[in-house]
Amino acid sequence: MKNNGNLSVMLKGLIKENPVFVLILGTCPTLATTTNVEGAFGMGIAALVVLVCSNILISLLRKVIPDSVRIPCYIVIIAAFVTIVQMLVQAFFPSLYDMLGVYLPLITVNCIILGRAELFASKNPITKSALDGLGMGAGFTLALCAMAVIREVFGNASFAGIAIPFLEPYKIAILVKAPGGMLVYGMLIALVYVITRGKAPKKTSFSCEGCPSAGNCHTGACLEKGGEQ
Amino acid sequence: MKGQIKSIVTLVCICTVVAVLLAVTNMITAPIIEANQNAAANEALLEVMPEGKNFQKVDVSGYTLPSTVSEVYKEQGGGYVIRLTTTGYASGMTLMVGVRADGTVSGAVCLSSGETLGHEKTFGQNFVGKDAAGVDAVDTVSGATLTTGAYRAAVKDALNTATILGGGSVDLRTEEEILADNLDAALPSADGEFTKLFIVEVIEGIDAIDAIYTANNETGAVCVVGEQFIGVGANGAVISECDEATKANVESVMAVVRATVVEDVDISAFEGIHQNVISVKKTQSGNYIIDIKAAGYGINGGDKYHAATGEYTYIRVSVTAGGKIIDCLTLAHGETENIGGVCAKEEFYGQFDGKTEADYENVDAISGATITTDGYKTAIGRVFETVKILEGGAENEE
Repeated sequence: MKNNGNLSVMLKGLIKENPVFVLILGTCPTLATTTNVEGAFGMGIAALVVLVCSNILISLLRKVIPDSVRIPCYIVIIAAFVTIVQMLVQAFFPSLYDMLGVYLPLITVNCIILGRAELFASKNPITKSALDGLGMGAGFTLALCAMAVIREVFGNASFAGIAIPFLEPYKIAILVKAPGGMLVYGMLIALVYVITRGKAPKKTSFSCEGCPSAGNCHTGACLEKGGEQ
Repeated sequence: MKGQIKSIVTLVCICTVVAVLLAVTNMITAPIIEANQNAAANEALLEVMPEGKNFQKVDVSGYTLPSTVSEVYKEQGGGYVIRLTTTGYASGMTLMVGVRADGTVSGAVCLSSGETLGHEKTFGQNFVGKDAAGVDAVDTVSGATLTTGAYRAAVKDALNTATILGGGSVDLRTEEEILADNLDAALPSADGEFTKLFIVEVIEGIDAIDAIYTANNETGAVCVVGEQFIGVGANGAVISECDEATKANVESVMAVVRATVVEDVDISAFEGIHQNVISVKKTQSGNYIIDIKAAGYGINGGDKYHAATGEYTYIRVSVTAGGKIIDCLTLAHGETENIGGVCAKEEFYGQFDGKTEADYENVDAISGATITTDGYKTAIGRVFETVKILEGGAENEE
């Protein structure tokens, strides 16, 4: 049962609670870095690493960090991991670093990471937090890659920089532009909603019950529901 | 209160740990990042020095370097990459030359040029692996002598720069500067003001003397004999150290030079002398000094002269009464520098020395300036005609 619980903590990030398509978090990097597959994958992995590391550390320190300074603490920890990742990417993947540009340091303020720190890692043990980070990071990467594949293949007639000649005459240029990104984003949100129909958290209202993180929330309304805990 | 202190301590601790973590990461990645950035910024540098690592721009303000050098980068292994701007045939040519620590050229490329033939694009390959002597031995490309000559000179400049920056010393003086320095050393009383002597007499022993420079302030002269610069005082006596035979020769030659008296000849008294002959002088031994103008490049009114400036080429020729040229000199020209303008260089007009009417046409033409050369030769031919008329000989054939 425990293993099953852990697994579901991880898997829920992929589709059911996908941070991008269901929780609608991290929209900015989603739109900005999905014009090509390489950049999207790199961005996803970078965010995943930061997410897992910060989740572990925050979970580890959850009893030490006083409530009143938790946000500054989380930000410092997240910023530290982002900076480390940034330095490593710059050192070992300079082309990826150039591709991601400003969006790499901006992982610091990525809502997904801060959101998971605040909503999950600060209340759960290390293993679960790590798995949650892994799941959410994988979900983020999956979402970015799905969008990037569509945008690059149909917008630029190429995949990961390799040209697809037979699509060249049919490429839809708007897809690699920001409006195209929005269109693809909207369609994928709709698709994920159709796929998870009945399983995904109901979003009939924007109250606490509708929140996918209700299970981890410490406000009274959510605690009553009990959530997944 | 207790809670506040705990908050502060926790935050400070986290920040400290984070700072240490960041410092460690930075320590590991900083050199790699720097190397990456250098590699990107120095792609052009790597092209001429593929084995180069960690290029650093060198501050060369403290050195006296060849004037063509614009930027110098030093490489980890002691090599240099030098950016030079030189003039080729048309305009500025920017080159990048790599010099290894052992003083050989690792590569040379032309970054930009205004050349027409394109030789500058591939010429750099000839220098790879060459040292200073090897660079001198690289032949220029026929038809692009100026471009490739300037290229070679720039590569030499790069080698010299590397030598200077490496602590060595290189004589950066141009040929003219070296000559001026040597002349000044041989005859300091001339204050560095010299004029090359135009030889108007057939003098015994002058073949041993390469050139004679007279002091403009008439304090003497300097004879160049091979590498030696022999000062001669106003009285005709040798003042520099040299062996007896050379001294005797120089003094005998200078005695003739000093004894030469020149008087004007009124050419209006002679019929048939060509209109281009400007003036004629005669020495006491019967030689003529004829100033004549030659048609250059371009055609106007049936006569050829330079189209852009409308100027003739002015030539001075000393010739014996028997019709043998003693000395020849281009006084002025209106030709394009580096093309027809080559007629003002000694390597061109010096060819006429010792020529007679029979063989003056055999002189090598200036490549790319056939019309200038033709005009020059025509003028020399008129000199021979003029001498014949002055000597009362044959009729003017024209």
